[in-house]
Amino acid sequence: MKALVKVLRQVCGTLPGALGFAIVVVVLGAAIFAPWVATHDPDRLDVMNRFAAPSAAHWLGTDQLGRDLYSRLVHGASIAMVVALSAIAAALVAGTLLGILAAWMPPRGEAAVLILFDVISSFPSLVLALAIVAVFGPSTFMVVVIAAVTLTPHFGRVARAQVLTLRSAPFLEAERILGAGLPRIVFHHILPNIMGPLIVLASMDIPVVITIEAGLSFLGLGVRPPLASWGVLIQDGYQYLSDSWVPVVVSSAALAVATLGFTLFGEALRDAVDPRIRQER
Amino acid sequence: MRAETARYLASRLVTSALIILGAMLLLFALSALVPGDPAVTLLGPQASPEFARQFIREMGLDRPLHERLWLFLTNVLTGNLGTDVLSGRPVAGMVLSVIPYTFVLTFGAIGLAVLLGVPLGVFAATHRGSLADNVLAFISVAFIAVPSFVVAILLLLVFSIWLNWLPVLGAGNADDLWDQARRLILPMVALAIGWVGFIARLVRSSMLEVLAEPHIRTMRAYGVSERLVTYKYALKNACIPTIALLGMGIGRLLGGAVLVEIVFARPGLGRLIFDALSVRNFPVVQGAVLVVVVLFVVVNLLVDLSYSAIDPRMRRAGAAK
Amino acid sequence: MTAPLVSIRGLTLEARTARGTARILSSIDLDIGRGRILGIVGESGSGKSSLASCLLRLLPANVTRLDGVVDFAGTNLLALDETAMAAWRGTRIAMIFQDPMTALNPLFTIGTHLVDVIRRRTPGLPRRDALTRAEAMLERVAIADPAQRLASYPHELSGGMRQRVMIAMALLAGPELLLADEPTTALDATVEAQIVALLEELRRDIDGSIVFISHHLGLVAQLCDDICVMYGGTVVETGPVAEVLAAPRHPYTRALLACEIDQDDSGRLISIAGEVPDPIVRPPGCVFAPRCDRAEPRCRSEAPALRVVAPDRRSACHFAETLA
Repeated sequence: MKALVKVLRQVCGTLPGALGFAIVVVVLGAAIFAPWVATHDPDRLDVMNRFAAPSAAHWLGTDQLGRDLYSRLVHGASIAMVVALSAIAAALVAGTLLGILAAWMPPRGEAAVLILFDVISSFPSLVLALAIVAVFGPSTFMVVVIAAVTLTPHFGRVARAQVLTLRSAPFLEAERILGAGLPRIVFHHILPNIMGPLIVLASMDIPVVITIEAGLSFLGLGVRPPLASWGVLIQDGYQYLSDSWVPVVVSSAALAVATLGFTLFGEALRDAVDPRIRQER
Repeated sequence: MRAETARYLASRLVTSALIILGAMLLLFALSALVPGDPAVTLLGPQASPEFARQFIREMGLDRPLHERLWLFLTNVLTGNLGTDVLSGRPVAGMVLSVIPYTFVLTFGAIGLAVLLGVPLGVFAATHRGSLADNVLAFISVAFIAVPSFVVAILLLLVFSIWLNWLPVLGAGNADDLWDQARRLILPMVALAIGWVGFIARLVRSSMLEVLAEPHIRTMRAYGVSERLVTYKYALKNACIPTIALLGMGIGRLLGGAVLVEIVFARPGLGRLIFDALSVRNFPVVQGAVLVVVVLFVVVNLLVDLSYSAIDPRMRRAGAAK
Repeated sequence: MTAPLVSIRGLTLEARTARGTARILSSIDLDIGRGRILGIVGESGSGKSSLASCLLRLLPANVTRLDGVVDFAGTNLLALDETAMAAWRGTRIAMIFQDPMTALNPLFTIGTHLVDVIRRRTPGLPRRDALTRAEAMLERVAIADPAQRLASYPHELSGGMRQRVMIAMALLAGPELLLADEPTTALDATVEAQIVALLEELRRDIDGSIVFISHHLGLVAQLCDDICVMYGGTVVETGPVAEVLAAPRHPYTRALLACEIDQDDSGRLISIAGEVPDPIVRPPGCVFAPRCDRAEPRCRSEAPALRVVAPDRRSACHFAETLA
């Protein structure tokens, strides 16, 4: 806990870090307390009140069906966070396991895993996502799967590198001589030691998932309407651009600010936690 | 030296071929996985039973799986990417007709990003720690963080709808080069902005690293002008990681191009895939995705080869990574 | 001695490190005679390379203090602005670096390096003419096949060849002051001998002064006219090579001489007990006192000044006279 406070203080010590932290707090707050923060039911139609200008009743105005834009944005934060956290959790588990396995495999197996990582991370993943969606149909679950697959190599590479540096550590040698099995070594020694860098990486990947989710949803290939994903909101606004520019600008701005905030926070966190990988300043 | 280069080339070619083969298998597996009766999915429930049967025979869907796989592989190798189920046109022709648009957009964006990102990165590195350096660092993060389709929509709103400076949608009249160029500007900028940030940051950090090296000190010790040291001796070294980034990033760039093409209603590979997707026209999706994969692999191969053009050590060592 | 080419007075250099401010050089006084070869010897970390960097004013970014006077034929180099200083580099001062493996840019040919150095002296010289000059110079430093070597990249040359290229570079600059910072340390013994032979041969051709930095007393004895012994960021003894080595007037010089045969590759002196002084926490008295077998209480409290102990000879020891 004390360590956490210290790290956060360091993050907020720089202007970009503080800005990022503030945005992260706002987005997370909106996501967690969405039902209380929202002023309206995000799905309640009010067709008589389409494209209402921002007012006291509707802080950011209404969309093409008269739904309250502010409330929809707040619920969009929930969707973005749920998708981001589940995709990252899945990628974290899969990537860490693959990474640890790769480090322990014979060279040929290790090379195969590394090539797989290279292919996934350099592949036009959005294009591949299109092919997958073409077969399975769009859904929130597919977004999570696609994002998780895309991110798995990030965690896998870091986990492998960490294990490789740890493997020759004396305490692991000792464990192995004492006959500890691989699971024991992994859960008692490796995982606690590599969690730090992986958590930093996870925080840096949040904006990546938000972008993937919004992009797919914007194309109608991710979260489906009427769920108020930011991508869906931008698509709605884009469709009715000739009627009103407010919805598209407001929802684009929400997405842009959120991704920027999480990126700034993630980079500040990396600098605070691991000065070794800090970029030269 | 020759033999090593040849061996390296051969290994790169084999890897590339393996990636393409893997993509083909994956796409084939996906097509076999299309849930439900493919005829119903593709033709809709209203199609008459005779027509559906004829369709299934024409598409070879009644044959065993391994035969279909063999047919698919041999067809692709002879340049036959299948047939559009709706219009009956060959997919290869459809892809070929839109590829130039995607090419111009993607490579235009790369060019623009390099043109802006490299000088910004060099400037930041040579003015390290200054206010401008800090501002540039923030702008770079912002450029990287904001998704390209959001940039695309905002550019469209501001420059086409509000200011009415540039025409909005489509690629423009095929005979009117000026019209085409004007319609290319906004999509290109939207796609390039994130890469300006990436490149500026990478060039900055690689420049700082190179400028601290002994050989730069040598040139300075001999009084070679700072301009020559920076732009001739250091920049060339700093370019190598940037080229690697572009090679790795070409996949992301193609993905971004899909979204940008859709926002600006431009013809292109992305648009083709997306339109086919919305009517579940799988052969077109399959063929176009395959072409994207091939493009990606070829560009990566070219990037690898360009290392050895820049770095003479590669010519002998023959290892790109 | 006639007026020296360079006279250094009170040169002090401090740098910021993770542990605190380090004093790299502490009020250095030193003269470099015209047309003479001055050997600077000392262990790693004695400040001898930093001294060369100060003469060229190519210092790392963490330097926090640079004081004193470096008088080069009437001009104080430390008072020049960066542009004026740049005009001196590669014309009146040139340098040969320790590690020829990293001192040349791997992405450019030898010819490109040399052409840019030549053009620095002769701006606007056509590339073809510059290459001809470069080729002649490579021949002079005994590189076989010079025309072909011009088109080679650094990684295609051996360490000895690269150092010859560096020497050629220095000769092309035709400086009044040539700094050679351990030019043979990174090379293996046979190549080292060849490079030393080359330097001896070129001695006559270089009309300026040379500063030859080494941790190898034997080399200095072979090549140099004068010697300057450094320890812990200070000059402890100077004088003509033959005299100093025959009768050192500082315990450190004596120790160096005594263990010349016992040196390892890193230049650390094995047979002097104790460690090189910490540049961040410096002893109050004589820097060498903690390792000196003759140290007395006075040595630990009062730092000895570098003073004249005989004609042309200086020593920074309270007991220089009794050492003889």
